[in-house]
Amino acid sequence: MQWIIRFFASHRSIASLLLTAGAGIWMLSSPQMQQQRITRYLTYSVFYPFQFYFNQTTRIKNIFAENRRLKEEIASLSVKLAQTTDRTLENERLTDLLDISRRYPFTLVPARVVVRDPSFISRSAIVNVGKDKGILPYMPVMTAGGVAGKVIKVMGRMSLVQLMIDPANRTSVMIQRTREIGILETENGSDFFIMFRAHADVAIGDTVVTSGLGGIYPKGLLAGIVSRLAENRDPLFKKALVKPETNFDRLEEVFVIKLPPQWASFKSELDSLEAAP
Amino acid sequence: MMSDTVKWVIAFIVALILQTSFVPAISLGGIKPDLLIIVLFFYSLKYGVMPGIFVGFFLGLGQDLYSPSLLGQNALVKTVVGALIGLFNERVMRTDPLIKTVLLLVVFVVHDALFLVVQIVKLGDSVGVLFSGLFLHTLPRALYSVAVASLFYLWDMIPRPAARK
Repeated sequence: MQWIIRFFASHRSIASLLLTAGAGIWMLSSPQMQQQRITRYLTYSVFYPFQFYFNQTTRIKNIFAENRRLKEEIASLSVKLAQTTDRTLENERLTDLLDISRRYPFTLVPARVVVRDPSFISRSAIVNVGKDKGILPYMPVMTAGGVAGKVIKVMGRMSLVQLMIDPANRTSVMIQRTREIGILETENGSDFFIMFRAHADVAIGDTVVTSGLGGIYPKGLLAGIVSRLAENRDPLFKKALVKPETNFDRLEEVFVIKLPPQWASFKSELDSLEAAP
Repeated sequence: MMSDTVKWVIAFIVALILQTSFVPAISLGGIKPDLLIIVLFFYSLKYGVMPGIFVGFFLGLGQDLYSPSLLGQNALVKTVVGALIGLFNERVMRTDPLIKTVLLLVVFVVHDALFLVVQIVKLGDSVGVLFSGLFLHTLPRALYSVAVASLFYLWDMIPRPAARK
């Protein structure tokens, strides 16, 4: 026995190798249960700092993975939220239009604006109803706010609408309170005005409605509100600036009023008058 | 100034952290360099057989606890490898970078061969596993590790100001 101790004392490297390799072989050959016990003991004693490090690393990895997953989820939900918001707003607009269709005693054809000229002054729009829905030229177009324009060209499944912001468009209107009649027009597509005789009874805040005398729009459709009375160079007239109720920047759903022009019934007589020498 | 022991402890900890965090990101076709063996290699070269044995044993034991290998497998293999590298202790013989590179390749082959032998004996795997493992896994891993280890040689080659007496 003594010579063994002496051998190990003089050959410490060999002794260390035998000791550690022996420990390794002992662990390898020990039964499963004992291996688990050794693992548990070592993990919670000598190797605890490493255990802590691995736990934290795993935790951080999980946090990163969760963060990535949550970011994807946020992106997906943002898209869904935008869609839902859009649908809610559309629903509100359609509810308003439905209310309008109940309020007016005309046949209203709901339509969606499918093409808009993106220029600074968008003068026309194309809606997704045409001959297939019985649309005819000169039928009025309105929104929940009021008059929007008139159909000027009809195709199979769509129609071209001349909007009120077109400077070529003129609408016969009247002051609802005093029944003063005038022509609503614009020169730049954004400032609307009506020229009245100087003594006409017009005040700021008066409601402007269609007069029904132009032959296209039925009487009483809301056109706008008098916002300002401006000085005019000609003292015989005064200029009433009107703020239209229709928001032409956000024109999405409209109604085409299924009302042929009032001159349609006596068009043949008109034509014959024009043809006469 | 930090003592050498503290420096080596930090080196092993950094190697462990990089092995578990950064190395998977630079794996090529599933082949990863083994930073722990590289650090063990340099440590044993510097300090000899006995420190190599003990550090190899505890390093292997730590790996056994945190990897799905058999308990004692890495401890046994790294003990032997630590002793083997220690035989080429820099105090005993002078080794240039080329010899170190060849030695590191041999260390990887011995390490993996022993690892696979233990697996064959313990789990009854076929002997074919040994050869296929050595050629398909060990050799690429050893070459990749040597490439990484060459960074340490470059570090050694950086000229430093002489220590003040």
